[in-house]
Amino acid sequence: MVELQGVSVVYGTAYALCRVSLKVEPGEFVFLVGMTGAGKSTLLKLLYGELRPTEGRVFVDGQEVNRLREREIPFLRRRMGIIPQDYPLLPRKTVWENIAYGLRAIGYSQSAVRRRVAQVLAQVGLSEQANAYPHQLSGGEAQRVAIARALANNPPLLLADEPTANLDPDTCWEIVQLLQQINLRGTTVIVATHNRAVVDRANKRVVALDRGQIISDVPRGGYPAELDKLYPPVAAVAETPFLKRL
Amino acid sequence: MVDRLLFILSETVTSLRRHGMLQLAAISTACVALILLGSVGMMLYKLDAIAQSLPRQFEMEVFLKVQVPRERALVLQKQVGAMPEVARVQLVPREQAWEEEKQRYAGEVNLSDLPNPLPDKLIVHTHHPQQLPMVAARLRPHPDVDEVLDQRDTLERVLSVARLVRWVGLSLVSMLLLSALVLIYNAVRLTIFARQREVRIMTLVGATLRTIRMPFVLEGAVQGGMGGILAAGLVLLGAGLLSDYMLRLWPFLNDLPPGAPAALVLVGLPTLGMLLGGLCAWWAARRFVRIGSS
Repeated sequence: MVELQGVSVVYGTAYALCRVSLKVEPGEFVFLVGMTGAGKSTLLKLLYGELRPTEGRVFVDGQEVNRLREREIPFLRRRMGIIPQDYPLLPRKTVWENIAYGLRAIGYSQSAVRRRVAQVLAQVGLSEQANAYPHQLSGGEAQRVAIARALANNPPLLLADEPTANLDPDTCWEIVQLLQQINLRGTTVIVATHNRAVVDRANKRVVALDRGQIISDVPRGGYPAELDKLYPPVAAVAETPFLKRL
Repeated sequence: MVDRLLFILSETVTSLRRHGMLQLAAISTACVALILLGSVGMMLYKLDAIAQSLPRQFEMEVFLKVQVPRERALVLQKQVGAMPEVARVQLVPREQAWEEEKQRYAGEVNLSDLPNPLPDKLIVHTHHPQQLPMVAARLRPHPDVDEVLDQRDTLERVLSVARLVRWVGLSLVSMLLLSALVLIYNAVRLTIFARQREVRIMTLVGATLRTIRMPFVLEGAVQGGMGGILAAGLVLLGAGLLSDYMLRLWPFLNDLPPGAPAALVLVGLPTLGMLLGGLCAWWAARRFVRIGSS
């Protein structure tokens, strides 16, 4: 489904990704974890063609993304659902209109839009809020709308960049459960996050990135110990005597 | 296809309705630029018409001496008509010329009580304007000829002024066109920034570049078109008022050929506005609406 072969991305003289190779099979659920700046978002952007690698090759569904021309990228993106960090809802449109907007932009007929929006709203549990405006929603509900919009085209691959950011722990877990349900229906899901709690609890494949390189890749497990060694949790740091920390 | 077209149109209409101040800025910008363009264009049109009409009016008037009898005038007409350079020669009898003068000044001055002071005259047309000086030089020494007016100096002066104004006008129009393009481009760029969210969503769901950019192009065309309609109205109004005022001051201006027809202005400026607006919007959209980076 997704494959990166020796991929590097260089911004100026800094490596955002350094010779990364990764393979994700169809139907997998993968967490990409790492600290801020580790290269998680860069990796996702490579998959949906927002960035091109400085070196290496990126494949999605057998298609080499880095060889696509700008006008071919939209057709790649129609085969994936994208939930980036900066994926805002349109404030003057209702939940229903927000989801319909994306479908209409890719040429769905009115009747197909009506049918599909009703389906995804039911899937994310927001049928009751169809006529609500974004400012009337909680953070978790707004994130569900973003997920519904990404799912609207029924894509085989879902890419989510920090979908649990700024949410309380219970809501975070609800969002991850929703993503797991979507995965159970056959959609490949790749989630970039640095939320330790949801990674520990979900017990899925975890790929850890640090300074642009993959430092661990475990088929099932919690937040990787390698990252803990490099960046001890705040609680652990707090317990270390002050002079030792220095 | 129809659904996508409807989407593009609805996006255009929504944007036109929502960003009122931006629309106002873009429309007024287009309007000002097109008023300047239209005014210079109309001036050029008028000068061009004058310049075009002058060579056709290129003729020579040969005034005979007052005491020359009609028979000798007719003989001279035949002699001039026989010259190889002359295409046509017409005798205007002094009685006819006097009647024309009286009619021309009717209502202003009463000439009916005055004796006729005009002589007979010949109006000579040559095959080519360049032949006039030669014919004039041959006729001037004739004993029956009092004066020859060949209008050559006047024509050359008017033509050189027309040439100058045309070049200055074209340079001015080019500069105005460029500034109009930049101003509309900037207005559309602001619209694109105001709709960043929509653009971002469309790029992520897989809308084609054409679908994303087209509403901006249509919006630019509508802004330019509306600016053009306003400009056409204002230019025609201004031209009408100015023309009335100048005709009251200088009635002889009535003899000049007419300026640009109103229909040309009414159709031309909005069309030009639409084309300019659409072009600038397309240019801005190409620059600022991208799907991926390098």
